Amino acid sequence: MSYKAVTIKAGKGGFGGPLTLVPTDTRNKVVSVTGGGIHPIAAKIAEMTGCPAVDGFSTGVPDNEILVAVVDCGGTARCGVYPKKRIFTVNVLPVGQTGPLARFITEDIYVSAVDASCISLADESAISKAGTPTNPTSAPKTKDQAKAEIAKMNEGKPKNLATRIGIAIGGVVNKFYAAGRETIDITIKTILPFMAFVSMILGIISASGLGDVIANTISPIASTLPGMLIVSFICAIPFISPVLGPGAVIAQVVGTLLGVQIGLGNIPPQYALPALFAIDAQVGCDFIPVGMSLGEAEPETIELGVPAILYSRVITGPIAVLVAYVFSIGLYS
Amino acid sequence: MEAIAAVANGFMDLFRAGSETFVSWVTGIIPLVVIMMTAVNSLIKLIGEDRVNGVAEFATKYTITRYTILPVISVIFLCNPMAYTFGRFVEEKHKAAFYDAAVSFVHPVTGLFPHANGGELFVYMGIAAGITQLGLPLGDLAVRYFIVGVIVILIRGIVTDRIYAHMSGKK
Repeated sequence: MSYKAVTIKAGKGGFGGPLTLVPTDTRNKVVSVTGGGIHPIAAKIAEMTGCPAVDGFSTGVPDNEILVAVVDCGGTARCGVYPKKRIFTVNVLPVGQTGPLARFITEDIYVSAVDASCISLADESAISKAGTPTNPTSAPKTKDQAKAEIAKMNEGKPKNLATRIGIAIGGVVNKFYAAGRETIDITIKTILPFMAFVSMILGIISASGLGDVIANTISPIASTLPGMLIVSFICAIPFISPVLGPGAVIAQVVGTLLGVQIGLGNIPPQYALPALFAIDAQVGCDFIPVGMSLGEAEPETIELGVPAILYSRVITGPIAVLVAYVFSIGLYS
Repeated sequence: MEAIAAVANGFMDLFRAGSETFVSWVTGIIPLVVIMMTAVNSLIKLIGEDRVNGVAEFATKYTITRYTILPVISVIFLCNPMAYTFGRFVEEKHKAAFYDAAVSFVHPVTGLFPHANGGELFVYMGIAAGITQLGLPLGDLAVRYFIVGVIVILIRGIVTDRIYAHMSGKK
């Protein structure tokens, strides 16, 4: 075939790689999952390999045909979903091992902060070493098989009570410990960085006098029902909602800004509830194709599902604000 | 010399306000969230995914439960983003609507169950911080956010379902 293999290394501040992509007759689609359209990096990879580039946002592609997924994920979901499926992932943003799926983001499957200069044609030695990514679960599985064999051997022998209690307690304690570790992981990798970045922005806003501007412009909008309906409608406009979505960063920053205004008394507290829905009409709109493929939807279903959800939000975004407004009656009064 | 010092002080002040906010969040929000998340994560591990799967299979049968119970338990037990894998229990024609319902619940859930979406806590917590500053209790807001969330995902599921059916009929 006329396909060419390429090597992609991490850009400045990036993580992972270098990845060597070797297209085959089946695995040859460069999927761009970047909120609609083909990202220039996806186009460049497609051009160099001779593979077709596909807009993953409007076209569903079966997992086994994806050569590489190009994402622009800020660190919550997309950057982890494809590595979890063991699909080569190129993130154009400088994001390392982070998010709830951080443990799947490894150097052999993921590379970030990629720009055009990071992509080069692969040399022979790299191609021979590469190949399609192998599923690492095969190794742990054999471990499980070994465990199962041991369990089988022990089956005949009745365990004494003390042993059984000991094993049960050990199992429970281990679960608690794992839960604690997961919690601390997410605190360090996502909650604390977010706090650092938002408190920096808030500090600058309040110290520089920008806070007064916000108080005079946003607060009047967010303390009336029509104002919030308009906000939710804007957030839900089909070509805006996928752009506002990633990582809910915008909703979180706006939420924090509104919180400050509520704290200052510029917005009545009962408006907190409708405001929560007004600023979130776009939730998950950036993630529709990936989320649906996690639910094992067929590519055709995803193709129809994306516009169906985007149009639905135009209706349900303002409805959500209305419902929340009704439920906010009697709150903090 | 004094002018330079004044500029330097002004520059530092720009960040001092931010550092105060940061400390108040780290001491005020993180300890409670960490303990809550650990507790709920442990509970989920003890209950196990298998038992939840049984409930999920049952909940897909009826429209009302498909867009209320199913997304709620998937988000609480599997968290964002793995919650969407529960779409596998749903018929193909309802998958778009189920995703819409599930993803719309990942923020309303955080008031009561912050573990379910630890990476995006500040949609709720940002606004809640203002309520706390006024000296008002958060429980009422968190419960109402959860309830309205369930109503909204039901509406969203049904509306998206209709739109999807209409579009696939046209095709």
